[in-house]
Amino acid sequence: MDVWLLITVVLGFSMAWAIGANDAANSMSTAVGAKAITPKQAVIIAGILEFAGAYFFGKSVTETIRKGILDPTMITDPNVLVYGSVAALLAATIWLIIATKFGLPVSTTHSIVGGIAGYGIVYAGTAIVNWSKMAQVVLSWILSPIIGAIMAYFIFKAFTKSIFERKDPVRSARIWSPFWIGLAFVVIGTMFYIKVLHGKDLKTGVLMYGVPLGIIVFLITYLLIKLRFPSSDPFIGVEAIFRKAQVVTSAYVALAHGANDVANAIGPVAAVYAVASMGMAGMKVPVPRWILAMGGLGIAVGVATYGYRVMETVGKKITELTNTRGFTIDFSAATVVLAASWLGLPISTTHTVVGAVIGIGLARGVKAINKNIVRDIIISWFVTVPVAGLISAAIFKVFMIVG
Amino acid sequence: MQVWTKLFAKSPFKPLIKHADVVLSTVETLEKALQYWYEGNYEEMEKVAIEVDRLEDVADRIKEEIRDSLSSKLMMAVAREDVLIYLHMQDKVADAAEDTAKWLLIKKPDGVPTEVKDIILQMGMESIKAAKLVHEAIVQMDRVIESGFTEGEIKREYEIIRGIESVENKIDGLDTRLMQLVFENADKLSWGDGFYILNIARTLSNISDKAKDAAERIRLMMNK
Repeated sequence: MDVWLLITVVLGFSMAWAIGANDAANSMSTAVGAKAITPKQAVIIAGILEFAGAYFFGKSVTETIRKGILDPTMITDPNVLVYGSVAALLAATIWLIIATKFGLPVSTTHSIVGGIAGYGIVYAGTAIVNWSKMAQVVLSWILSPIIGAIMAYFIFKAFTKSIFERKDPVRSARIWSPFWIGLAFVVIGTMFYIKVLHGKDLKTGVLMYGVPLGIIVFLITYLLIKLRFPSSDPFIGVEAIFRKAQVVTSAYVALAHGANDVANAIGPVAAVYAVASMGMAGMKVPVPRWILAMGGLGIAVGVATYGYRVMETVGKKITELTNTRGFTIDFSAATVVLAASWLGLPISTTHTVVGAVIGIGLARGVKAINKNIVRDIIISWFVTVPVAGLISAAIFKVFMIVG
Repeated sequence: MQVWTKLFAKSPFKPLIKHADVVLSTVETLEKALQYWYEGNYEEMEKVAIEVDRLEDVADRIKEEIRDSLSSKLMMAVAREDVLIYLHMQDKVADAAEDTAKWLLIKKPDGVPTEVKDIILQMGMESIKAAKLVHEAIVQMDRVIESGFTEGEIKREYEIIRGIESVENKIDGLDTRLMQLVFENADKLSWGDGFYILNIARTLSNISDKAKDAAERIRLMMNK
């Protein structure tokens, strides 16, 4: 049993490392591409905030991965949970490697959910899958990019109306950029109340924590953003303001990403740890904090060791993105992802960001987007879960025979 | 990682502006050739006229590159057809300049009356204005998109387009005047001189014609 726990911890940590190296770096790349932050700064921001997001806000999604997809009461043998978790982690890794080879934008989240469902079905048939939860999760995958797109569309429209159409765009940007940053902190403050202080009432969270924090941040940012621009071109001034503002939203993205994606790596680890330490009764106990910390640490290490390179490459490729657009993408995607992790829905950060980019494209805000990406994402929705499930099922079967 | 490198395609506007740069220098070089032609400095004129031809080739090459990069899979802020047709028209501006240069090289302008030469030179100068305005228009179009299609920027673009139209109008007037002059002086000119002058005028007025067509396309880009 202890050997298996060690194996899962190692696998989970590697998965967290991979998430940090790739996904986290990708989520920050809009900010790097728009030259809001350098890759080095991105590593520092991502390292700290991915950890914070995972540690403070990562629990609900982890619980969903650990015991929301499958009905744990139908598993009587603790070994099944151990083998299954390892199989799911391995399957997700294998599928991610294959998909990367074919250039499909598959999501770590979708792979791990597929892997868990796969071993569950092999073990106890389709009845073990909590289908209503599964339907909810799958629906959230389709909805999250769409909501991201709608949000980005309207925020960008609001930008044009409230900033670009004004007589003095720079002055408007000076007022409006702290407003959006403040709004981000309303969301963060509310999440803090619900997740860390375990508050129950959403209204109290928004009014007592979210809004006051938002106002404080608004005032601080307003005072920090100075009106000193040598350029006579107002648009360059606006972009310069949002370049500073984007530092904050890129941190917001990292926080949201950590909150949602840490579960992919440590959800299975948490399941194995629970049965290893307390037997099947352990599944009733909430995820211990140190596991969340381990996941967060894994992500941070991934960002620090390999993410730098990814950000540098991707940042160089995204040259057409200006700061107002980058800000809109970051803000919309991070808000959607944080809301999803509050609801305990494991969604794909990457897909949500792509959705936000498309939304700006629909608002005629980006000069050229490759439409093929939408097709690729839709394909990945239909392929990832069954394939990761099959791989996981096969590995699980082998473990059951050998073990 | 592939998602990101795939997602953002290159904007066609920077290359379009680069193309406009070359088109503008083609027309400017042609104007230089016209100046020498006017002064009767045939050797210098020949050198410059050949340069016009070379610049037109460069413009062609950029045009091809832009066309290749504009896949139908792109989602753009403006319709792909509009960009392609605009590019075609902008390129025709350089083509027209090259045609004029070719006609200049056909023969020495010994029999051409000074008043005719005056008008041709004037047409050349106005053509530069048209080419400059086209360049301005495409730079401004980039700005229109940058601003998220705000009214102020669109209005500025319309002003530039109107400028192009008025230049075209002026050249049309000069062209008509020139035709009249050729026929008024019919007995003093050989048929060859007449043919020569009228073709220079026709190709020259083509420059602003195509500039106007290009401007027309920009109008459509904004109205999508």
